[in-house]
Amino acid sequence: MRRKKTKHSASVPAVTTVVEMRLYIANSAPNSVRAIANLEAICKEHLKDNFRLEIIDVLEYPQRALTDGILVTPSLNKMSPLPAAKIVGNLSNTSSVLHALGIKE
Amino acid sequence: MKHDIRLPNLQPSRSNVEQGFEKVILRLVKGGPERMAIEAGQVDAVVDHASGNVILLPEAQRSLNARKVRLRKLFELSCDWSWEQDEHYRFVSHTDAGVENSGYWNEDFIGKAIWDLAIDNMSEADWQTHRQQLEWRATYRDLEVSCVDHAGKVHYLSFSGEPIFDDRDQFKGYRGITREITGRKKVEAMVLGPNRFARTTLDALTAHVGVLDANGVVLLVNEAWRDFAATYAGIGAGVTEGANYLQACDNAAGHERADGIALAAGIRQVIAGEREHFRYDHPCDTPSGRSWFMLSITGVAGDSAARAVVLRENITERKRGELLLELEHTVARVLADVDNATAALKAVIRAVCETQGWFCGRYFHLDPATGVLCFSESWGLATVAVEQFLEKSSGLIIRPGAGLKGRVFQSGQPLWILGGTRGTGVSSTALAPETDVDGAFVFPVTSEDKTIGVLAFSSHTVREPDDRMLQAVRSIGSQLGRFLQRQQGADALRRSDARFRKLVELSADWYWEQDSNYRFTQYVGSGVIGAGDVLGKTHWELPNVVLGDAKWAEHKSQLAARWSFCDFEFAATHPDGQLGYYCISGEPVYDEAGTFTGYCGTGLDITKRKVAEITLRESEARLRALTGPESD
Repeated sequence: MRRKKTKHSASVPAVTTVVEMRLYIANSAPNSVRAIANLEAICKEHLKDNFRLEIIDVLEYPQRALTDGILVTPSLNKMSPLPAAKIVGNLSNTSSVLHALGIKE
Repeated sequence: MKHDIRLPNLQPSRSNVEQGFEKVILRLVKGGPERMAIEAGQVDAVVDHASGNVILLPEAQRSLNARKVRLRKLFELSCDWSWEQDEHYRFVSHTDAGVENSGYWNEDFIGKAIWDLAIDNMSEADWQTHRQQLEWRATYRDLEVSCVDHAGKVHYLSFSGEPIFDDRDQFKGYRGITREITGRKKVEAMVLGPNRFARTTLDALTAHVGVLDANGVVLLVNEAWRDFAATYAGIGAGVTEGANYLQACDNAAGHERADGIALAAGIRQVIAGEREHFRYDHPCDTPSGRSWFMLSITGVAGDSAARAVVLRENITERKRGELLLELEHTVARVLADVDNATAALKAVIRAVCETQGWFCGRYFHLDPATGVLCFSESWGLATVAVEQFLEKSSGLIIRPGAGLKGRVFQSGQPLWILGGTRGTGVSSTALAPETDVDGAFVFPVTSEDKTIGVLAFSSHTVREPDDRMLQAVRSIGSQLGRFLQRQQGADALRRSDARFRKLVELSADWYWEQDSNYRFTQYVGSGVIGAGDVLGKTHWELPNVVLGDAKWAEHKSQLAARWSFCDFEFAATHPDGQLGYYCISGEPVYDEAGTFTGYCGTGLDITKRKVAEITLRESEARLRALTGPESD
């Protein structure tokens, strides 16, 4: 499973920062499913259309996990805007996720 | 490259698992956040960077296994058996239970391609199409086949399959599922049987049938309607199920706008229940020429969504027949109304052009003296091109057998060149001079089975004439020919009459005609001086005529006997009191049926001669008196 979500809309002003992320999961294992749902909810509420998300199933593409230095799944990598950040687990702690993504509550 | 996924063996005891797993975790995960997440139960898998493997944690593994079982159960629910084929599309494996339950044996399938099975509802063309799909490595769904098993029972099976490729993307065959759909097919046959009959019947109709809802949206159409929508332009083009027919009528543009408005208004009235039926004829321009359609809209009562049924029939043939009949009547009326050949020719040519949508027409008459066809009259649309074309025709002379017109004259049969045939192998000499305007129709003008001229029409809309059209041109050519011949006869008669009158004027002082009661109906010339208004009177009723009764009685007996009479003399008292002398000659007149219609004749003033005679007689009398009786 390798999915890309691009929600960056043309209607958003060019100055708006687009958050680019990668979520590493293990197929439809419970925490992976939960992580996707939690991240979807956070993006919908706090980022609107201003994010790009790639979901990588490490069972299908283990090489991506090796290349990107992923140790466990689920793991979320924020690539931009800098600084880069990584958060592991099922993303149920919204505050930690927002902090890692550089979003003020 | 895909990596192996190593799953820890969680059997046989909990303590062993925990111990082994902790060791693995401690070795692989050294970071604080990752360890914390694992302890919090928020991790599914650990990536072993040393081996490149992904290790599922026990909870995740259990969950994925359970999910796999659920999916298998769902798969089993969705199909009766699954199978695999090799690269030659031969069945190499299948789930036996499903096959056996369907009344087949293992050897019925293994090693055979699907088209090798005893399937009776697929033609060679169908298999060709299926094989093409396989060659394209396409995924296919619901290939429905019927076959008879060993027990003689008919089965309906639905096959779905997808191609299999190895790691090097080499095609290895197909895998798929089969569902037994015999039950469903039987139910369909029972439920849909009557509907299918209705549908088949509807599709067999040549009339276009569409059903509209309250908003004018098309709910259902038949095949004829669908074909029309796909091939014709104008109102209704492209309108099939789901489209709004009323909107299409409302949006009609150009010369179809008026038709669109009228149709929409009628349909709305029917849908609203204000009228039960609405009928409307309208033309439609197609690549093959103008077509006519009759629309009948009928209201639908009841609780269904259907509110109106639109029936569209192609009435082009009937309409063309009506137009040709109207043209024949127009020609007959025109020929009855006009009194000269020029006006008749122009009116007839115009009527033909306007009915058929042709640009112009010309009449060439036979010149009996030279035996050639000479341009005579024309009518055309008021365009520069047509006017130039007609101008060039002026003075044109055509020999019999030369060109289209010459050939028509020679054969006495109509000939035509269809519009748009230029440059498609038709000889240019055969077309000349019609080539100036692409497409021509030439037909003979006949009288008493003889061709006396030809009518040549030019237009690029000339189409293949049907029998009705040929019948119409024969009728028009014949009507016009008779008229022209009559006109020619009448002209000759008028000329002869004029010559005769000239002669009469030279030999007589007046010309007269009487009816069957001997009353004057015509009295041309000087006549009897002082007679006043003579029309309606007989000779003997003229007030100043002086003649004895015996003479009149004799004259009347001659008239009653219908004798011709010559130099019947009488006197008349002139206004100055003097006598004038006249003589008349006449002959009876009969109509074509031989019935007596009166007399006609001439009159002559013989006063001078008569007075001279009287004077002479008086002189002779006086001389005799002077010379004595011996002079007698």
